[in-house]
Formats: sequence, structure tokens, C-alpha cells
Amino acid sequence: MSTGLALLIAAVAMLVGILAGRAAPRVWLVAMLVGVSAAFVAALAVLGGAADWDWRGGFALGGELPHLRLDGLSALFLVLLCVVGGVATVYLREYWPEQEHPRSAGSGRMWWGVMLLCLGLLLLVSNGLHFLIAWELFTLSAYFLITLNRQRREVRAAGWLYLAASHASVLALFAFFTLLAVATGSWDLGPLRDRTELAPLFWLSLFGFGLKAGLFPLHLWLPSAHANAPSHVSAMLSGVTLKMGIYGLLRFSGWLPVPVGAGWVVAVLGVVSAVLGVAFALGQHDLKRLLAYHSVENIGIILIGVGFALVAVEQGDAAWGRLALAGGLLHVWNHGLFKALLFLGAGSVLHATGTREMSRLGGLWRTMPWTAGLFALGAVAISGLPPLNGFVSEWLVFLGLFDATLSRGPSAWAAIPAVILLGVTGALALACFVKVCGVVFLGAARSQAAAHAHECGPAMRGAMLVLAAACVAIGLAPIVFWPAIARATRAWHPGWSGLDPPAPLAALGLAHLALAAVATIAAWGLWRRVRIRGFKRALTWDCGYAAPTARMQYTAGSFAGVITEWFAFILRPERHEHRPDELFPVSASRTEHTPETVLERVVEPVGRIVMRVSRTVRRLQHGRVQSYVFYILVVLAALIAWVFMGGAR
Amino acid sequence: MIPILQLLLRLGCWLLLAPLLPGIINKVKAWVAGRRGPPVLQLYYDLAKLWKKGVVMSTLASPAFVMLPAVAWVAVFGAAMLVPLGPAGAGLSFRGDALLMLYLLALARFCTAWAAMETGSAFEGMGAVREVSYAVLAEAAMVAAVLSLSVQTGSISLVTMLAPSVGACAGLLAAGLFIVLLAENCRVPFDDPNTHLELTMIHEVMVLDHSGPPLAAILHGAAMKLLLFAVVLAQAVLPMDHLRPLGAAGLLAGSVLLVTVAVGLVESLLARFAFRRVPLLLTTAFLLCLFALLVAWKGGMP
Repeated sequence: MSTGLALLIAAVAMLVGILAGRAAPRVWLVAMLVGVSAAFVAALAVLGGAADWDWRGGFALGGELPHLRLDGLSALFLVLLCVVGGVATVYLREYWPEQEHPRSAGSGRMWWGVMLLCLGLLLLVSNGLHFLIAWELFTLSAYFLITLNRQRREVRAAGWLYLAASHASVLALFAFFTLLAVATGSWDLGPLRDRTELAPLFWLSLFGFGLKAGLFPLHLWLPSAHANAPSHVSAMLSGVTLKMGIYGLLRFSGWLPVPVGAGWVVAVLGVVSAVLGVAFALGQHDLKRLLAYHSVENIGIILIGVGFALVAVEQGDAAWGRLALAGGLLHVWNHGLFKALLFLGAGSVLHATGTREMSRLGGLWRTMPWTAGLFALGAVAISGLPPLNGFVSEWLVFLGLFDATLSRGPSAWAAIPAVILLGVTGALALACFVKVCGVVFLGAARSQAAAHAHECGPAMRGAMLVLAAACVAIGLAPIVFWPAIARATRAWHPGWSGLDPPAPLAALGLAHLALAAVATIAAWGLWRRVRIRGFKRALTWDCGYAAPTARMQYTAGSFAGVITEWFAFILRPERHEHRPDELFPVSASRTEHTPETVLERVVEPVGRIVMRVSRTVRRLQHGRVQSYVFYILVVLAALIAWVFMGGAR
Repeated sequence: MIPILQLLLRLGCWLLLAPLLPGIINKVKAWVAGRRGPPVLQLYYDLAKLWKKGVVMSTLASPAFVMLPAVAWVAVFGAAMLVPLGPAGAGLSFRGDALLMLYLLALARFCTAWAAMETGSAFEGMGAVREVSYAVLAEAAMVAAVLSLSVQTGSISLVTMLAPSVGACAGLLAAGLFIVLLAENCRVPFDDPNTHLELTMIHEVMVLDHSGPPLAAILHGAAMKLLLFAVVLAQAVLPMDHLRPLGAAGLLAGSVLLVTVAVGLVESLLARFAFRRVPLLLTTAFLLCLFALLVAWKGGMP
């Protein structure tokens, strides 16, 4: 089957799905899965070595001839879209059914189809105008999906913030594509690496795509949108749509020349996003908001890879750039997979308990063993621990940075802090996910809702299983996935064309395999020994305290206390403390809350100043005719005075 | 035949010799305090006893409470397999294995902290918090140390990184790594392995609820981790590549012993620090490793 035919089937199936979305859920499900699988086959064919697919339509669409192209880079992102999109489609059938959400289930299915179709189109179109149209359509469909549950006030607020931020990004991209079209005389996109006068446009694309990708400090729309959207939408937003920002950045930094120093800026933004993303995540008490901040962190790791690749290109195609880029690209996949897994897990917790507040959960492993186990696997993966996929991509980025240091060029001065901070990021992510798993799934239930939770159904569980299996597969056999990464690397920079892995990926895979096997045997063996010999159950040994309660456990806030204290200079946590004061204290309390610091301390004050100035200026405009006549008189008098004083000459 | 023999010897070194180190430390402490102290082989007896004992589990704990100590043990063991033993080289070696070693230790940390959170106890929660928080600073120091070794030798593989002497930065690196060793292995002045049931501990308080074979796995893993840090520290500082195999092995064994005695002396002469000073000391370790990195950078300049 040719690539074009597969993509045509995918498009037709998606359109059928969109039309059937409201009324016929079964048709919708089948059509969506067919569409996603067809596109998956096409993308896999290109990544597997088939020729790039290029197609020009003979008819005008909006005054422009359609031009579609599927090369290694877009195929890499298309695979991610298909896997996460397909899995989340299955999940959504059970998570957002007609019975529970009669108002929004139908429209949810329709907009879901629209979003998947537009995301796919976005990856294929090779025309500036059509790119903008697809971008805007996907932004809008994502808005409707985020606000599916729009009876709630905070959902509407999150939706508005998303819409406003997205349109700031659209504005930048509008300027970017228009200026590009003016400079080249056509909306058609393609490699233009020798037109050095186009380089400054990179900054516009960095702002536009960076805002979509959620890099710090442009992430301000991200936490609330991810937290308030339905979980399958959060999985898609975090797993795939953030990557569209990365795709755009890579696409146009590969096709167009980049200004000198661009790589440094991207790398620094990446490091800042990685460290501060995880620091903010530690301060959160809301499960999904915490996961959202981890997206900022992971986007940071991807951008470190991309940034050093740009630096390497600038410094004469140094080989370490290829390693860093490969790590970044693999992390695009990896983050998509494990973050979608984690969001789906969080969705199943929310579905079962009705709360995202971590400090009201606890002990869920008893009632939700599948969700707990799969979430734990995602947690190990996102913390970058061997033998799962997160470590493989971080390891590649690390190798690139080490080689950059060893090359002893000027890039070493950026690589040394990046290596150390990337290591710190890993340790912080580990702390954060011990906190999440410990507080949500382990210990004793902190509320009735948590005590009476129930496991999710087979569709939701199956969806999570597929993602978990993908995480394990990339972790244990990274060498299998190398050709795909190499293909995408070559599409980005034709100079890096070798297919052989530049790093001992096979050895790492072997080590992972051995580790997984031995760890499984050891864990199972020890559990078997303990179970066969019999074990006693007893109250937790709380230093002899015989009546422990669930309230004595560490909470999300107290767990992160040590580290949020270190980062208080940027997190600005709000603390309210009521210390026990008298001889026989009756009550004491302490709450800590990490605000959306960038939004509340920077953007909102600026916005308030703008509003105040605008309100003052608005007093001039009030609808009283007498005053308008007075303005005219004043201006006339001023003009006459100006003419008489000789200003007209 | 020879490879199998080599593997057995390597396993013997790591698995059988590791529990000796805590015994030596205790002996040194007893000697400084003028006591007779427990026998050097005490940990072996303890492990044998624990392995035969039954298990008491918290009513809140899941099967992972038993399984994760085993996984943590395997992770530390895997990290040990990557570390070269002087002339014998490492069990597995490839470019970038230094990072795998660091992250395997992190995996072990994840597992022990998870198992601590299983019990829902405020004490174990406290231990887990401290463990994962201070590890952030220790990790920064270790990454800086690996980076300086890497800059010194132009390699990212432990076998070639650890073989030659680090030259001018040896002193700085030794001091930094020794502090990290103390912190990561929960020794004084970060933690007090002598006391149980204290609010002031990190590691010991995390394993309060473990018993029987899982506790044996934890104790053996901790001993192996101590040996691993001592071996890395010794090889990072000393030049091993010019000596004959037997001499190198002897030098390695002697320096590991020296490190162990030093840990015992520190433990005898210092008191545990207040918790607010722990980050300060770890930051010092990080700075020492960072300066080692700068010295290595400068020294290697053509």
C-alpha cells in the first residue's frame, strides 16, 4: 500500500468519524481507529525507509495549491500522534460516556476527531497559509475539548487563558509566515537553508512555537488547561500537542537558516524549563497540575537536545550535535508515551474518587491495583530511571553534552552547567514522583472517596497497558527504534546522514534487558519466599504509637517542603500558619500553596496596569456630545495656534 | 573457563566482601572509644539470621513492600557490575556507563523511598523526604565528579575514566567524593547508623518496618553501596594503570580499607550535624567536585 493511499484512507476515515461523532459512537470509534491505524502505517513506512511522500494538488484551496509532504521528521511526530491518539480514543469511550456526560459526550467525540485530523494535517502541509489554517483549527478544537465540562467556572477560566495564550502564539506565527511569504514570494514551504537574510524570522517562530510547547516562562496557560481538561484531552494536550510546538521549531530551524546564537538561547531556555518545571511541579497539590508542570520539565529536556544540535550545526556540524538531537527526538516519543500514560492514570484516579487533590487520596493500590502499577511504571519512566525509555533518551542527551564538553570548544561552557542541571532535574523528578505515588497510591486512605475507589474498566486499562508496553519496549530494545530517529535526524539536517547508532545503544539495551530480567526474578523470588513461609500483618510500627491515623501521614505539601524551601525564591509559596500558642493549644494549622507565579506575579500585574491605563483613557470616550464638540474645538484651537506659530511651513 | 572464573571472582568480591566494611567501621569506632565492640563479621551473622526469619508486614503495605527491596538490591548490584575492580576491569563496560551507574543508584533510591511510603508512617515518610531531597545535592556533586573525571581522561566509560590518576584535582575530588560517600551511605555527620527510632535519621528511619529477608536485602545492598563508593573513590584518586595486576589489586584493597577506617574515624570524632547544616555540607561537596572539574579543565589545556 502506498503512503498516499494510506493517508487518503486515514483522512476519509477521520471525516466519517467527525460526521458520525455526535450520533453514532460505534461508527465513530471504528472510523477513528481505522484512520489512526492507516496514518500509523504510512508514517511507519516512511520511518522504515520508504521514500518521502510529496503531493501537490491541482486545485486551489484558499487561493493556494495544496502541497502535502511526509518526511522523516513529520513521520516521527505522526507516529506519536497516531499511538497516543488511538489509545486515548479507546480510553475516551469509557471515560467520557453518554450516560455520565449527556451534554458533552457527542460534541466531545466530534471535536476529538477534528483535533486529530487537524494535527495530522499540520504535520503534512507544506504551505504557509494552510499551515496557519490547520494550526488555528487545531487550537480551536482543543479549546472546545478543554472546556467540555464548561459548567464549572475554573474550566471556563482555563479555557479562556488557553485561548488567549494560543492566539498570542498564532499572532507570532501569522507574522512569521507572512514575512516568509513576502520574502520568498510564495506561501510554499521547503528547504531554504542558503537564504541567510531569513534568519531573524527564527525569533518569531521561537516565540510562537515555544508558547505552544510550553517552555518557561511562556508556559503560563499550560497548568490550568491541562488540569481542567478531561483526562484523555490532557493526555493528548501534553503528549502530542505540546510536541507540535517542538515540531514547528524543528521544521523551520531545519528548513530556514537560524541566526547566530539561536542554539544557545534554545539550550538555555531548555535548561531553565527543565529545572523550574520540576521545581514548580514539586510545589503542586493537584495531581494533574503537577503532571502538567512535568511537561514543562520534559519540554526543557527536549529543547536542551535541540539547542545543542543547533549549536553544533553552527560550529561546523560537530558530531555531538547529532547525539543531542537524537536524544531530544527520542524524548519527544518517550515523553508523549509516559506522560499520556500518567495522565490516563490520573484520569482513572479522578474517575474513581472524584478528586484531583492528592492530599485527599491515599492507599489506592488496594482498590485500583492496575492503575497503581501502570502509573508506577510511568513514574519510573518519567524520572529517567533505567531500564525504561526515559533513561534512554536522557542518556543520549547526556552523551551529547559530555561530548560537547570533551570537545573543549566554547560549547563546553554551556554543556557543563547543562549536564549538572540535567542531573539535578533527574533527582528532582525522582523526588516528585516518589511523592505522587506515595501520597496517591500508598499508605492509608485520607478520605472516604479514596477508601471506596474502584478500578477502571477494561478499555481504560487496555489503553494504559498499550502505552506502558511501548515505554518498556523502547527501554529494553532502544536499538530497534534507532533507524526511525536517524531518519528524522537526517530530515532535519542532511549532513547527519549515517544510519549506524553513534552511541553504544545496543550495549545499553542489553544492560537494561539483564537488569529487568534479574530484577523481576529477584522480586518474584523474594515475594514467593515470603509468601510461602507466611507473613504476619501488624499495625505500622510508628515508634510504638499504637493509634496511627491517616492524617499523620506525609502529605503532598509536607513531602515537598524541603525542596520547595530551596526554590522559594522563584516559587514564592504562600504560607498560612497558625502555631499552637497557649499552654493547652486547641488548634493549630499550616497550609502552603504554590501559586502560578509567572501568571500571578508577572502577567497579571502587567495586565492590571494596562487595564488601569485603558480605564483612564476610556473616560475620554463617554457619549456626551457636548464634550465631543469641546474636543473638536480644543483640537481646532491647537491647530490654529500651531499654524500661526509657523508650524505649517 | 577463564571468563566464568573471573565472573565468579567478581561476584565473590562484591557479594561476599561487602558486609565486611560495616564491621570494620564498627571495630574502628569501638577501638577509638576503648571498647571491644562487635565482631568484624557481625553483619554476616545478622544477614544469615534475618534470611531465616519470618516477615511482619504493615497492614497498609502491598506486595511491593517486599519486592522493591529486592529490586533496589539488584540495582545496586548492577551498578557494582559496571565499576571496574582495578586490573580485573568491569563486568560490563561501554561508552556512557558512568551515567548508567548514577541512575541505577537513583533507581535503588526510588525503590527504598517507595517502600518507605508503603507503610503510611509519619516516620518513614520523613525518612523518604530527606533521602530524596538531599540526594538532589548529592547527585549534583556526583555528576560534577563524573564530569571532572571525564574531562581529565577524555572518556565517558568508567574503566578508562578510573584507571589513570586524576592528577592535580585528586585532592579536591577525594574530599568531595568522600563527603558524598558519607551522605549517600548514611554515615555520620549526615545520619547516625547507631541509633534506631530517632527523629533525626534519614536512611534507618526508612527501613523501620522491614523485617526478615527483605531487611537482609536492604542491609546487604547498603553494604554493597558503601563498597561501591569506596572503590570508586579509591580508583578515582589513585593511578592504577601503571602497576602490575597484583600490585594494583593490593593497592585497591588497601585504599578501600583506608577509606573504611577513615569513615570509622569520622564517625568516632564527629557528631551528627543539625539538619539545616546538611545541605550546606553537601553544597560544599558539590563545590569541591566543581573546583576539581575546573582544575581538570585547566590542567588538560594544551
